[in-house]
Amino acid sequence: MGLFKRLYDWIDLRIGAREIVEKELTGYLLPRNINGWYSLGSVLLVIFALQVATGTLLMIYYVPDAEKAFKSVTFIMNELPYGWLIRLCHAVGSNMMVAVLLLHMLSTMMMGSYKSPRELNWLTGFILFTLVQGISLTGYLAPWSQLSFWATTVATNSAAAIPVAGPYLVEFLRGGKLVGPPTLGRFFALHVAVMPVTIAALIGAHLFVLKRTGISTPPFGGELSRNPWPVQSYRYHGHPGGIPFFPNYLLQDLTSICIYLAIFLAVVFYAPSLLFTPDAFIPANPFQTPAHIKPEWYFLANYQTLKIFPSELLGLSVQAAAMTFLALLPFIDRSPERNPLKRPVFLVCAIGGFLLWVGLTIWGHFS
Amino acid sequence: MTYLRQTLRSSLQAAFGALILAALCLAAPQPAPAAGAEQPGTVCIQCHGSLPDRLGAPVKLWRASIHAENGISCNGCHGGDPKDAADAMNRSRGFLGAPKEGEIPAFCGRCHPGVMKDYLASAHGRALGQGGPTCVTCHGNHAVVKASLELINEKSCTRCHSFERARAIRDAMQQTEGYIVGIDRRIRGFQAQGVDTDRLGQGLFAVRNRFHTMFHDVDVARVKGESARINAELGKLDRDLKVVEEARAKRKIAGGIAVAGLLLMAVLFHLLRKTYD
Repeated sequence: MGLFKRLYDWIDLRIGAREIVEKELTGYLLPRNINGWYSLGSVLLVIFALQVATGTLLMIYYVPDAEKAFKSVTFIMNELPYGWLIRLCHAVGSNMMVAVLLLHMLSTMMMGSYKSPRELNWLTGFILFTLVQGISLTGYLAPWSQLSFWATTVATNSAAAIPVAGPYLVEFLRGGKLVGPPTLGRFFALHVAVMPVTIAALIGAHLFVLKRTGISTPPFGGELSRNPWPVQSYRYHGHPGGIPFFPNYLLQDLTSICIYLAIFLAVVFYAPSLLFTPDAFIPANPFQTPAHIKPEWYFLANYQTLKIFPSELLGLSVQAAAMTFLALLPFIDRSPERNPLKRPVFLVCAIGGFLLWVGLTIWGHFS
Repeated sequence: MTYLRQTLRSSLQAAFGALILAALCLAAPQPAPAAGAEQPGTVCIQCHGSLPDRLGAPVKLWRASIHAENGISCNGCHGGDPKDAADAMNRSRGFLGAPKEGEIPAFCGRCHPGVMKDYLASAHGRALGQGGPTCVTCHGNHAVVKASLELINEKSCTRCHSFERARAIRDAMQQTEGYIVGIDRRIRGFQAQGVDTDRLGQGLFAVRNRFHTMFHDVDVARVKGESARINAELGKLDRDLKVVEEARAKRKIAGGIAVAGLLLMAVLFHLLRKTYD
């Protein structure tokens, strides 16, 4: 303990560590009625860190070459000590990241935390959501399995619905007329370099905006559920008399992280096949189309929507409109009230929209 | 100033809307086209698949065959150029067409030489050209079925002779067949979980082929002896599979401990937080 204190003093003398701890941890006050949903952001940071760590380890043995990719993944899964664990953690983690991100957005929506002055928090979060879907999609091709190959064929094909530029865009995405070795090169570069760096930068922006605006107060419990002031000049939303981030809320974060990791490892060890069809372990064969090609679960609603509409462009436009509406929600919903029980129209629309998404997902799965 | 802010806001909204639209167009997957999903690899299927009756029927039959399952297309048997519609059926490109009855064993034997040898040595093969069966009599031509004991059945065999001896041979091989099917199912199950089953699959493939060579044999004692030897080979594969099963069971125990540990930590952190409240 003496050694630790001496080390801490030594660092404090040089960078003023005590001041940082006081300002960012023990003196960083949060609303007294803060709930567990607020810890999903920390859970997502842990997931992203795990994805980067497992992805880096996978890169040591993975070969991004159409001739060797499948064999290298088979080697990782079967020959490399704990390679199976690292690969499954990476694959399951990507799905969990989308799921937790959805929950994080849903809780933000229900508690009205996207409302003014937190439009930028919502926007950066929404872009992060689309980027996470993108990084999952590009990573899907990496194993060069039947599932990877055909799911990417289906996904890149969607760009063809865009009038005039569609076919050129498909060719640009694939690096040729069909999915092939050039597609793997492009997707790999996006997956391991462009997208992780962009996501990390946006996480930084998201946290910066969060620090500058201050944490929102949950619209439940004793305090006012309306935003306390109109945005006329910048003002930090502090919480005098609130609970400190350290140790109080850090313990809540740790509780949520442990619960998440328990669920995550339960899937990794007991039900990884939830996310893999047998086609995921057959090498890609451009001449043999699997019987049922389905996208990942989080794209099933989009997939089913496209099947419902008679024209692909119409289906795509409806989805684009819905997503644009969601992205611009803080600019559309200007009312200061944040308690969902006092916003019946919003509540009906939100629950209806969510049920519609779940219904389309289930329909897409069984169609 | 207000006008400027409104203009800026609407410009930002429009720009962001365009960004989202573009992102969605790139990210949202589409259902695969129902027709056209097959890659344009063989002109044989493209052309014959759309033809009616006699000319189109082989494609439909082939799709359900073991050949289709293993990626053996029309040109694998009939030759020709599967990428050139104009010369696909040109003899100069190796097109063979359909064989005459007496040529069928040699036709199939290009890929299955061992089976052809067994067949020609059998009573069936010796009767070739004298009313005896050819490969396609039992295995089908385009709807080629996987060789299994189900092929030895009363309905099929009694087309030419009584079923008694065939039944005795089938009964002698029944246990081995069950063993092979069981091991095959386990290997496929592991393959579907990412286990490298190449070596096991190749081992089973070799044993199964040996087993199938007996299908053309009509000597009951020899079939029984060979079945016992094959069962011993299958026993080795069974032991290898048990090693994989044990390793996976150990993983589940380790996973269970990790999950329980994490849940316990979650409870401890929660209780600790309560003390600060």
